[in-house]
Amino acid sequence: MIIQILLLSGLVIFSILAILLKDLLKAALSLAVASLFLGIIFFRLDAPYAGVFEISVVAGLITVLFALTVALTRKDSEVKEARLTRLAFPLFFVIFLIIDGLVMKSLLQQVPALPAGPETGSFGEVLWKSRTFDLVAQLGVILAGVLAVLALFRKKEEDKDE
Amino acid sequence: MSNLWFLYLFFSALLIFTGIYCLLTMRNLIKLFIAVEVISKGVSLAIIATGAVKHSILLAQTLAITYIVVEVSLVATALALIINIYKKNKSLDIRLLSKLKG
Repeated sequence: MIIQILLLSGLVIFSILAILLKDLLKAALSLAVASLFLGIIFFRLDAPYAGVFEISVVAGLITVLFALTVALTRKDSEVKEARLTRLAFPLFFVIFLIIDGLVMKSLLQQVPALPAGPETGSFGEVLWKSRTFDLVAQLGVILAGVLAVLALFRKKEEDKDE
Repeated sequence: MSNLWFLYLFFSALLIFTGIYCLLTMRNLIKLFIAVEVISKGVSLAIIATGAVKHSILLAQTLAITYIVVEVSLVATALALIINIYKKNKSLDIRLLSKLKG
């Protein structure tokens, strides 16, 4: 239980750092560390496949994408944030922490129990047989993402030609 | 097991709150997408923790993997958009976008 709390606290602390740090590259790296914590939590919850995806894709690929974007937009990219944003965050955070602690338990008691019993079979069977349409949708989403990125950068080249 | 569920969802709500606070108050486009990432971490944590507690971890893992794939596509597209916006406006300030005319 103590290890779980430490891991979850690390996850929240690095997520907060990712939001509050002024340097965007440091913020992206904090986000990667938070993903690493989340991946470890997934492993401890007996979800190794989700953990592997979280660490390799989110902590790896998305961090590279963020670092690349920060590098490409580094010059004149500083945006002045409102002063109160960072100062007021601890106050709002503590207020939410208290409300969360008070309300969450009663909310959980209202969630109905799932009718199904313990799962049988392997992860592969669930993924390929029960959730086949999810995989089709995933292919569609990846294709849409690739086409969108291609379209966005092709438009830029046309602008240059003009 | 109920206490464990409470613990995970408690922290998950904290992550979602942190992300929403950043979305509402910050002006830097990259920071806004970092906030979206933080919110998605909270949602992933809630999915896996609920699956683990309710003995549906295999289903929860498939849902989390689908969610991660959608997240990657979203981030790739959004960051490409941000680069294009930066090249046009020479700034990452979200307030400049309000001057766009359709």
